[in-house]
Amino acid sequence: MSKQILLEGRKLSKTFGRFVALQETDFAIHAGEVHGLCGSNGAGKSTLIKILTGAHRPTGGEVHVNGTLAPAGSPLAMLELGVACIYQHSNLIPALTVLDNVFLGRPPKTKLGFIDATEQRRKAEALLEKYNIDLDLDAQVSTLATVKQKEVEILKALALDAQVILMDEPTAWLSHSEVRKLHDTIARLRALGVGLVYISHVLDEVFQVCDAVTVMRDGAVVWNGSIDEITRPELVDRMVGNDLGEASRSVAAEPRHPKGTGEILLSARDLGMTNTFEDISFDLYKGEILCLTGLIGSKRTELLHSIFGSAKFSAGTLDVLGRSVRYSSPSEAIAAGIGFVPEDRLRDGLLLDHSVSDNLIFAALDKVSRWGFWNNRAVRELTERQIRDLNVKPADGSKIVKRLSGGNQQKVLLGKWLEIEPKILFLDEPTVGVDVGAKAEIYAILRKLRAQGTAILLVSSDMEEVMAIADRIAVMVSGRMTMTCAADDITQEELVLQISGGNK
Amino acid sequence: MLSLISYLRTAIPTYAMPVALLIVIGLFGALAPVFLTPANFTAIIYQMSITGIMAVCMTFVIMTGGIDLSVGPVLATSGLVVFFLLHIAHFPLFPAVVLGILTGAVTGAISGLVIALFSLPAMIVTLGMLSIVRGSALLAGGPDLHLVREQPGFEFIGNGFLFGIPFAIWIFVAVSLLLIFIQKRTTFGLQVAAVGDNERAAYLSGRRVKLVKMMTYVICGMGAALAGIIQSSQVHTAAATYGEFGTELDVIAAVVLGGASLLGGKGSVARTILGVLFLAVLNNGFNILNVPIDYQLIIKGGIIVIALSLTEWANSKVA
Repeated sequence: MSKQILLEGRKLSKTFGRFVALQETDFAIHAGEVHGLCGSNGAGKSTLIKILTGAHRPTGGEVHVNGTLAPAGSPLAMLELGVACIYQHSNLIPALTVLDNVFLGRPPKTKLGFIDATEQRRKAEALLEKYNIDLDLDAQVSTLATVKQKEVEILKALALDAQVILMDEPTAWLSHSEVRKLHDTIARLRALGVGLVYISHVLDEVFQVCDAVTVMRDGAVVWNGSIDEITRPELVDRMVGNDLGEASRSVAAEPRHPKGTGEILLSARDLGMTNTFEDISFDLYKGEILCLTGLIGSKRTELLHSIFGSAKFSAGTLDVLGRSVRYSSPSEAIAAGIGFVPEDRLRDGLLLDHSVSDNLIFAALDKVSRWGFWNNRAVRELTERQIRDLNVKPADGSKIVKRLSGGNQQKVLLGKWLEIEPKILFLDEPTVGVDVGAKAEIYAILRKLRAQGTAILLVSSDMEEVMAIADRIAVMVSGRMTMTCAADDITQEELVLQISGGNK
Repeated sequence: MLSLISYLRTAIPTYAMPVALLIVIGLFGALAPVFLTPANFTAIIYQMSITGIMAVCMTFVIMTGGIDLSVGPVLATSGLVVFFLLHIAHFPLFPAVVLGILTGAVTGAISGLVIALFSLPAMIVTLGMLSIVRGSALLAGGPDLHLVREQPGFEFIGNGFLFGIPFAIWIFVAVSLLLIFIQKRTTFGLQVAAVGDNERAAYLSGRRVKLVKMMTYVICGMGAALAGIIQSSQVHTAAATYGEFGTELDVIAAVVLGGASLLGGKGSVARTILGVLFLAVLNNGFNILNVPIDYQLIIKGGIIVIALSLTEWANSKVA
């Protein structure tokens, strides 16, 4: 195996305001190597990838390709230098053929400037043969299986003479047999000297295909080396960190309350949604925190939306507070006392161009108005109370939410839902992109709510978080709930196994 | 220097329009002293009342990220409806006017319903509505002018005076105040802006987003209908051809000059009035100075584009 370094990041840093996403990180990919990149959500993996592909300009450090300095923050330049990225979500155009997708944007041209169809096909066929990939060039992409679409993306990268291919969770939407096919393709690319970065939460896969591995935590590399030098439990340890963050340590000391007061507030039986999830049954108790964990694409978010009325389940029954229900819109769920802090606070949660105050009152307008007219004093009091209780900084209700830090935005979003005084509260990844201090404050609020008898259903992919605040844990794998247990009955290592679907 | 530029950027959205307005007024005043007389100002506001009513009523639509291109034909239709009710059905004035305004509410409700229910682009739906309403008006009213005779109450709407000020101005002021009140003092006002800012977040917060959207088109339709009644009264006639092509563009230009974003989220009824005033001042000043209509159009278009570019520039950098 040649040991030439293809792509190298030297002392890369990235800060967003005061939030440090990446600090002085070194990273190198050699020719003919599959390099695993591991770490929890928020560890800095995607920031690193975005810098390497030119999508982000680093605050400090340099990117070198084949030993020469690459221009920072230019996606086009990185593509031309042979660094391609295959994202979790497909970047293909479903209505076009494989061939058109592969050469999209930069087809070989005839002298007159028209697309040279013969040359295009010849090039594609040569690549298919060289890398031994089996694809029908004339098939429409939308008709292909997911794994074939991944191969189209790989072919597209190869058509650009990619030397390095970054793959972000490439198997998130693949079945087990499809994963094996993808791994075969990866092995062939490696044999021909391509450098690959393989990002995955599924440790089984990392151990199957990777030659080397880099572990990241809190924006820094905590370990890197050959895959032979590390065992699986050691890898998990490094990902999680031996010393839990300040946030979780204080929380971890608290006693757990599995099944809360014993009173069931929400009960799902055999819930299903076509092509999404099936046979989901669970109970949510008053005064407990039930953490629902799993990999990206395990359909946890979809499950929450189907209960909340913003999507519809197609099978099964749902009981909320002892009544059989099926909400047709979020307003009905909210009226029944359910709150929902959604995953993507920018897209689904906040009115970014509005003030902190407008956001805080927005789910509970009835509380601060009569017949649709504002009660200005009530608005002011509610705003001041939430800002004080949540420790929102700056403590200014007229501040536009867009200008707050991630942690403060998340607090505002949480505050909005606290104002409906929810009996049941859903939270979807509430601490992603939130700094450690704000995280601790959010955990404290959740614990307080639990003590007041709120039933909390929290979706999280962050193992550390789950182990720290869960009373009970449920695991979803590919649209099925595979396990539910009290948090004390499982170790983090066992949980990581459960999530990756390995029932060993 | 840099801090001056960044200061200007933050100041533009708030102060650019008032400052530009003062400059234009000063310029016209210097060139033609008659421009600065109280009588001329009354004339300006009288002339802007029809576009003004439509513009303040369209502000909410634009704030949700929508648009209503059908205001011209709706204006014509309500005039016709009132004409028929007064002259042929012999309705008393008040119910005739109310039913006329209701025509606008109904067309607005139809546009709004289709847009909200099927999540269709407002541009396309109201473009279709423009054609449908115009066609219906022509079908009912034919191409002729219908003279409104011996209806002193009706004539008062567009031509009467109250406390020495034209009644049309009173209507414009009343409608503006009502809408400013709705925007500032009701939860509906916040919901309109919220839908434009982040529709999905508003929906997930339990707001009835579709209803809010539909209501904005109802308000817009009612504004256009009221404007149609005033215009009909001013010219003593009703015709299916009133509110010709370009009416909706003047209205939209005024709203956007007032700082509303066509992408939704931003906008203020009070500032829309400034936008209308700005356009009305330009028209009036050009006419006093005898600027030929072709030059007027070119200069007006240029000013609109420059004003919007400045606002965009300011918004993009500050954000």
